[in-house]
Amino acid sequence: MLSTVHPSDTDSSQDPRPEDAGITYLRVVDADAYADWEAVYRDNVDRLYRLMYARVGNRPDAEDLTSEVFRTALPPLGMASSKGEVRAYLLATAKTVLAAHWRRHLGLPVTSIDEEADAGYLAEPSGPEPLSDAPQRAGKILDALPDRYRRILELRFLEACSIKEAAATLGVTVSNAKVLQHRALRMAAKLSLELEP
Amino acid sequence: MNNRRLPAFLDSLADGRRPKDFDAAPEDVEVLRTAIELRAARPGDAQPDAAFVSRLHHELSAQARSGPASISQPVKRRRRSTAVAAIAASFVLVGATAAATEALSQGPATQVALGAPRATSLRTGTFETTDGQVMGQIVAYKGSPSWVYMNVGDSNYTGSIVCKLQVDNGSTVATGAFMLHAGKGEWTKAIHVDIGRLRGATLVNSSGDVVASATLS
Repeated sequence: MLSTVHPSDTDSSQDPRPEDAGITYLRVVDADAYADWEAVYRDNVDRLYRLMYARVGNRPDAEDLTSEVFRTALPPLGMASSKGEVRAYLLATAKTVLAAHWRRHLGLPVTSIDEEADAGYLAEPSGPEPLSDAPQRAGKILDALPDRYRRILELRFLEACSIKEAAATLGVTVSNAKVLQHRALRMAAKLSLELEP
Repeated sequence: MNNRRLPAFLDSLADGRRPKDFDAAPEDVEVLRTAIELRAARPGDAQPDAAFVSRLHHELSAQARSGPASISQPVKRRRRSTAVAAIAASFVLVGATAAATEALSQGPATQVALGAPRATSLRTGTFETTDGQVMGQIVAYKGSPSWVYMNVGDSNYTGSIVCKLQVDNGSTVATGAFMLHAGKGEWTKAIHVDIGRLRGATLVNSSGDVVASATLS
């Protein structure tokens, strides 16, 4: 449930609002705000999913993390906040949720969310294509690899081939395809570091 | 790649399956990151599945219907109708620049929404440990009263923890203690200070050591 009005802290007893005085309160809103939690959800679910997908690289985890962000962020969310503020809050929540994910599953922060660098994921406009530069960066890494290394990674990671299909395409055994993928990823990782801005 | 579980993780990524947990070594990180980056570049996969979007919407609807969460539940029960009405009003009374008024039918107080310029009403920050690990978040809302909400997830600490809020001149304007259970906890506090003046917050353990700190942006 959504509320910004009455925090449950014991200090709430100090809430200066006189409840029984019949007073008319002014609450300032503006056009750049969400009407309700569903508007927050509809406007940001695709954006948040894309961000999480870019950070974990698989659909099941991206869905779980997107769900966790909304479950965590919506209850205390203030509807009087602007869209930009709400998105900044969602991004901060996403950062925490992703960090906890890696700590829980691998013990190390493999990827992270930078509230400034990744703000574009939640910014207007939200089109159907991912806003990240992942395809460009992936292309640069792949282009710098030897042919067979590039090909095994293209087949496996971009063209959705199974290891058997990739092995057949390359004319090698499954075991050899695994070794090839293994070595190709190590070299790609080194190249990725060199391509860091 | 010195970990036997790493190739399995990478294969799962390539195959689009949920990878299994393992204790990654620091030297694995760049390989994992590169594999994720390559996988994320696969055309067409970055869009959420419609069934997932619908399922999550239903789940969140149920959560919303179940009533205010613990962090937002009014302390005084008689406030509840007012709070709920105010929330409802905040959903309804969002307008453009024209002034809008609506009397609430519930509760003794009435709220009026005005379309007008508004200062920052929400500020956020991330709690990070001294070694840069993300530990939680803090959100400050402007309101009557203003309040802060923070949560800590998956820390390695269990027990009482003190949060100190600092303003721009470095002084502490509010403190509060809450418990972390299995490394998790959350805390909400009303504050009587302009949230624009808040600089950040510090989490301190029972020994007085700083566990994490956050800067509000």
